Amino acid sequence: MPSVRDLRDRIRSLKNTQQITKAMKQVAAAKIRRAEIAQRQARPYADALSEMLRDLIASVGTIDHPFMKPGRDGAPRGLIVMTADKGLAGAFNANLIRTAVLAQRTDPNLVFYAIGTKARNALRRLPQQTAYAVPLSAGPKIEAARSVAAKVTDDFTAGRVSEIVLISAQFVSMMSQRPQTRSIVPVVAERRAATTGPRAEVEFAPSPEDVLTRLLPKYLEFTLYSAMLETDAAFFAAQLIAMSNATDNAGKLIDELTLAMNKARQAAITKEMLEIVGGAEALAG
Amino acid sequence: MAKTVPFKLITPTQVAFEGDAELVIGVGTEGEEGILASHAPFLTALRPGILRANVVAAGETKRLEFATSEGFLQALPDRVTVLTDAALRREEIDVDVARKELQAAEERQRGLTPQSAEYAREQSAIDFANARIALASH
Repeated sequence: MPSVRDLRDRIRSLKNTQQITKAMKQVAAAKIRRAEIAQRQARPYADALSEMLRDLIASVGTIDHPFMKPGRDGAPRGLIVMTADKGLAGAFNANLIRTAVLAQRTDPNLVFYAIGTKARNALRRLPQQTAYAVPLSAGPKIEAARSVAAKVTDDFTAGRVSEIVLISAQFVSMMSQRPQTRSIVPVVAERRAATTGPRAEVEFAPSPEDVLTRLLPKYLEFTLYSAMLETDAAFFAAQLIAMSNATDNAGKLIDELTLAMNKARQAAITKEMLEIVGGAEALAG
Repeated sequence: MAKTVPFKLITPTQVAFEGDAELVIGVGTEGEEGILASHAPFLTALRPGILRANVVAAGETKRLEFATSEGFLQALPDRVTVLTDAALRREEIDVDVARKELQAAEERQRGLTPQSAEYAREQSAIDFANARIALASH
């Protein structure tokens, strides 16, 4: 049985750990709020951009733009894997990386692009080449999104990849975040039935094709940017849960150890008293 | 007082301006486009440049100017929306940063072929830096 002193040391060290996890939980809670604000600020742009895209595609259908044509046959698929830069968020990063590993097993003809330090480190161990890597949270996310978008655009138009697939985290709720996989290039245009109402005849300058050609790269950039914001928010939510669980578990362990320590101390006292009584009786005897 | 139309200037990170405008002038790829209220549905791409708007707040008309990066201008009879990568008011412009970015972009562009996508990207950075310098210094 461990001594009272051993138990006291373990309790002290657990209390320190608990303090750290509690602090990290509070930091994560504050950062979620920031991430949510960033997401909210990006929404007007998202809405306006998809409205413009809808109008354009409704009026021209498919145009002669590389993004709207299937990629070169036989070229590897480009897989953008997005994770957080740091861990301590339960299975958050592991789930995203597992999704990438599974995709890699079903079709090994791949090129990776990593967004997030954890993704970069994990992809390095796979046989496929990682063509480009940026951290998720090092600088302004819009800059990082732009640089990745530029890289994948170049690779796609040059025929080095046949498709761009994005694996990122979906923020379902504070309690639930899961990986999502979606194909973002080529863009599949669904020519909808003629729009009615005041926007049926939109005039484009110089031409719808020209505007669409400029809009599509922006659309890709912004899709990546908003996925980065969502992954960021999901990461902090996962971290909040993980740290909250860790704090609770440390508390439970502290309670158990405190009980064990009290028992051990009581046993020691009882033993000592018995010895004194025994000794006194022997003298009296 | 001229008729006004709700006008929004939106970047990925914020709504840079929201209010009523009498007139919005953007630098389109085909030249300057001036939009008044009740404009027919219209959509154009914008080059990096200076976006001007006569906005009305509390009964007074004020001229607003923004240095904008490339973007899009959408006019509908009931509203005008400008989407752009970045929009800066005169007081938000750091001329030193703009000069440095201008130099860096010019340097990078020198080694590129004029038809490539990279060249166009650098050109757009150059134009945006020039727009900022122009707006800050007039």
